[in-house]
Amino acid sequence: MRFLIRQISRTADGREIVRPVTLEQPVITVGRLADNDIHLADLAVTPRHAEIARLDARGIVVRALDTLGFDVDGRTVMSVEIDAAEGAELKFGAHRLTIGLDGDAVTIAVERVQALSDATGDKDEQRVFSLRGLLPGKRLSAWAFAGLVLAAFLVAPIMTWATYRAAPQRPAGFHADSLWSSGALSQAHQGLKDNCQACHKDAFVSVTDDACLTCHKDTHDHADPMRLAAAKAPPGAGARVGLMFAAAFNRPQGRCVECHGEHEGAGPMQPAAQRFCADCHGGMKERLGDTQLLDASDFGTAHPEFRPAVIVRPGGDHPVVRRISFTAHPREENGLKFPHKLHLSTTNGVARMAQTMAGEQGFGQSLVCKDCHTPDATGTRFQPVDMERDCAMCHSLAFDQIGGTIRTLRHGDPAQVVADLRAYYRGTGPERPPSLGGMARRRPGDYAQGRTYYAYFGAVAARGGQAEQAVRAVFSPGGACFDCHSIDRQGDAASAGFRVQPVSQNARYFLKGWFDHDAHRTETCESCHAAPTSGSAGDLLIPDLALCRTCHVGEGGAALRRVAEPVASGCALCHSYHADDGAPWSTRQRVARIKDGTNAGAARGGRR
Amino acid sequence: MATRTASRRVKGETLHDGFLRHRGFRWLKICTVFSLVAIVAYCLVDVTPRHNGGSWLGYVLGTIGALQILWLTALGLRKRAMTRGRWSLKAWTSAHVYIGLSLIVIATLHTGFQFGLNVHTLAYALMMVVIVSGMVGVGFYATLPSALSSNREEMTQPQMIDALRSIDRQLHDAAQPLDHHLAALVRGSLEQDPFGGGLMRRLSGHYPGCATRAAQAAIRRETAYKPKLGEDPIDKVDALLVRKEAILGRVRRHLKLKAMLEVWLYIHVPVTFALIAALSAHIVSVFFYW
Repeated sequence: MRFLIRQISRTADGREIVRPVTLEQPVITVGRLADNDIHLADLAVTPRHAEIARLDARGIVVRALDTLGFDVDGRTVMSVEIDAAEGAELKFGAHRLTIGLDGDAVTIAVERVQALSDATGDKDEQRVFSLRGLLPGKRLSAWAFAGLVLAAFLVAPIMTWATYRAAPQRPAGFHADSLWSSGALSQAHQGLKDNCQACHKDAFVSVTDDACLTCHKDTHDHADPMRLAAAKAPPGAGARVGLMFAAAFNRPQGRCVECHGEHEGAGPMQPAAQRFCADCHGGMKERLGDTQLLDASDFGTAHPEFRPAVIVRPGGDHPVVRRISFTAHPREENGLKFPHKLHLSTTNGVARMAQTMAGEQGFGQSLVCKDCHTPDATGTRFQPVDMERDCAMCHSLAFDQIGGTIRTLRHGDPAQVVADLRAYYRGTGPERPPSLGGMARRRPGDYAQGRTYYAYFGAVAARGGQAEQAVRAVFSPGGACFDCHSIDRQGDAASAGFRVQPVSQNARYFLKGWFDHDAHRTETCESCHAAPTSGSAGDLLIPDLALCRTCHVGEGGAALRRVAEPVASGCALCHSYHADDGAPWSTRQRVARIKDGTNAGAARGGRR
Repeated sequence: MATRTASRRVKGETLHDGFLRHRGFRWLKICTVFSLVAIVAYCLVDVTPRHNGGSWLGYVLGTIGALQILWLTALGLRKRAMTRGRWSLKAWTSAHVYIGLSLIVIATLHTGFQFGLNVHTLAYALMMVVIVSGMVGVGFYATLPSALSSNREEMTQPQMIDALRSIDRQLHDAAQPLDHHLAALVRGSLEQDPFGGGLMRRLSGHYPGCATRAAQAAIRRETAYKPKLGEDPIDKVDALLVRKEAILGRVRRHLKLKAMLEVWLYIHVPVTFALIAALSAHIVSVFFYW
């Protein structure tokens, strides 16, 4: 009944050292205490862990003595019988006991197979003191991040572009190429925000005019392209470098997007900057000798005097107008006699009359502009003054009353006036005096001069001739027509030889620029129109350049003299590049904004 | 006056000059002037309707910024060759720090302060992450090495491992006579990896699950009311656990400082590559949808 215990330890270089001990006894003990037959210096082993007893020549039994078991071929058990000839591996804590049979002796090889502590195991100094193993490697994450970014922000957008390149329409919703957007599209182009390819059609080809003209079909060019090219100022040194780069990077000049930049924010698109206009108009006279246009480059400092279109010969649907600079002190020939000064006075008879008519007509202490002038529907300009509506409340053309009905002379029809007056004198007699008496007997002397009969019957006798006198009076100084109209004797018989000069009212003085009264509601009328001091209808009451410049300065704030509350005014405030009869684009935008969208329709498609 | 005299450098004496102060802050001065020029240009150049990356100034600033980024990234290659002199690695590193900082100015002006949810702002944001992580790294490099060396007290890293191994062996031997439940506590301390714990443990230096401290506390509770006779093996184990805890404390402070010196690079380097990817996408996208 022999046990052969082989304690195996290893030198630093891994060589085995075996110390054999032979025990002649049937039972041996295993444990941490030194008095055990197999002493395992192992804290995972209890002081008396197990005993090993021989059953016969080959068989042994291993029994745990404490509550802890041991491992046999990987399983934890409390007791096990082993055929030593077949062998087995037991594990107690960090120690391995290999059972075998050598002759009649059961051999037990004892070896520590695990380090006695974690620290005494293998430690790679470089590794344990660094963050390697705690974080994904730098190289790995670098590739991963870079790959992700390229996939999401380069490959996916290009795939989107390739997918819908030939498609007429892209489905709504998110598309990867919107990740390339450099900023929100302007209000008007919001509908295109998911459809980059509406404008960016070909790869590496800058946005072409064709893309714009797909929708903006009616937009016409500013002028003949040849003349446009000739009018442009030659580029300076910096601009030449810019042009060189533009050519190198495939950016043709003169495209819509040069003035109309996009991706500049979600608000309304900004009007083209002043410099785009000044490039040509700043010194166009030199470059385009035959142009009628005067040079302008900044409203505050370099703008020609206004040339309002003044009526020089009134009458008809198309009175003759001529654009005359304010420097030539133009006067307007509109065919009327109308002293504004007289009507706007606060002290004269007109004012007194206004006061008496205050209840009836809503006048104030004196007449003001709005009593006679009515804005048009858009508020931009004023309706023509209408005699019946705007003058007749004071300047009545009444000449007779029958019952409660007032008879008036017809305005605008001299022949009718003459006919009405003649008819009046023919059909009516003078008022019969009550003292004339009835059918009583006349006494001598009743017909004497100065007596009632003389007066009455004299008037009756002279009645027909008075009509011509009245007609003359109406068309002569002090008469109802003459006071306002220019009258001559070139008329025909129907109007008794009198002719009223035709009248024309000017609705728009600035044909090349745009003026909007609605935008100037913060001002009084008199601050621009010197009406209270004007004694003649021929006075041009339109403000000139200097007067506008008391508020309006150049786009960058430039002004010739100090302006208290400057209004920065680029060219686009008054002028259109793609000109038509309507307001400039920027003004339409602004008006639409002020009116909270009510003018939005006009702003969108309002090029009439 | 006395202190000024004392701190004045004696002629001919060469003091250690860190990469931040290299050549009397030469690169700081160069980059400050460069950034100021860019700011002045930004203020003077009139771009309508507002500054953006697509104006001529925007393209110039963008090109400069992109070249800066590529040059800054090249430090990763350059640092592998340590040289001296005018183009020394120290000069290069000094320039890296200050040119990297000036990139904040250049790139921000390039954006025209227009940001959005797009690849362009992504590139800018990644660049800022790289720069800020770099600033954190410079901050760590400026302050931590002295703390690291005062913590080490001239002990090398292998010596720290050896000290742990030695104390473990002693603990193992001393704990042999102990009862099983006490032996299990000591075994817990032995089997726990002193370099274990995740990144947060490493950076914070707090190890709430420390088995050594737990073992020591349990043994103290065990022996609290026992008279100290001097022959009880548990007293020796107690003393050894106290020593192990002290060594662990030093090792963990060392690990924390080392981790801080390293961790910013785990952001700085990978995000740099993400930045270069985003920058490429940014540039390609501009020309693609020209």
